[in-house]
Amino acid sequence: MTPFESICEKCEELIQPYLDRELSESERREAETHLADCGYCSKRYRFEASLRRYVRQACCSEEMSPELKAKLASLRTALD
Amino acid sequence: MADAESDARRLATEARDRVRFEEEVLGLADQVYRVARRLVSSREEAEDLVQETYARAFRSWRSYTPGTNLRAWLMRILTNLNIDRGRREQRSPDMQPMEEGDYYLYNRLEQSGAADDEERVVERLSQDSIVEALAGVPHDFRDVIVLVDIGDFSYQEAAQILDVPIGTVMSRLHRGRRILKGELAESAVGEES
Repeated sequence: MTPFESICEKCEELIQPYLDRELSESERREAETHLADCGYCSKRYRFEASLRRYVRQACCSEEMSPELKAKLASLRTALD
Repeated sequence: MADAESDARRLATEARDRVRFEEEVLGLADQVYRVARRLVSSREEAEDLVQETYARAFRSWRSYTPGTNLRAWLMRILTNLNIDRGRREQRSPDMQPMEEGDYYLYNRLEQSGAADDEERVVERLSQDSIVEALAGVPHDFRDVIVLVDIGDFSYQEAAQILDVPIGTVMSRLHRGRRILKGELAESAVGEES
């Protein structure tokens, strides 16, 4: 594996909204074609996608307590 | 008599709608908590914020239009309350030069150990360092990252929740993720030394 040495302008435009599923159908196709052809972007894409998953996993690991859940349920009748 | 009957029917419908609303709102509690937990810095604050959100949601249930996005409606209450609670001062982030920011973290991680592929290299970051790095992102940017990356909201929904233009969501997201990566790169360097 080698460090990212060059910057692809296309990458900046496409990767984040592509990962966020915010591109239109034609933009998505364009992004996929570009990712297949550009080594820099496909590497960046794999890194960004796994970072996104990893951040999500780290930040969603703490569940709410059963006590809080019970408190929320009690609010529904307590406020009338 | 007919009026009394129609009043009774109306009350029964309203009571049924209210119960349905409350059940749907309670069904979203885990998702609301996950977002709240990353908007504020401690578990206690998150619990208070979620409770306030639910108290307000139950009180103002009539202002919700059935069939519209309930998750976004709740999240809007949550983010407004969070802003109202007053936000603590935060240091301004040390920005990497723009052209470097996006791949700086990758290069840092890549240099920090034996070769790994692009997907495995993130595992060199500890989960604690990720939570800490996100907490270090200034509020305006963090709110957007949390809504989109943890809450699974679209740009449009995040814009409605935060009451900002969609372009602002996109630019804050872009800059926020860059700040997050900068923070992570710093912590990766810190762990090495």
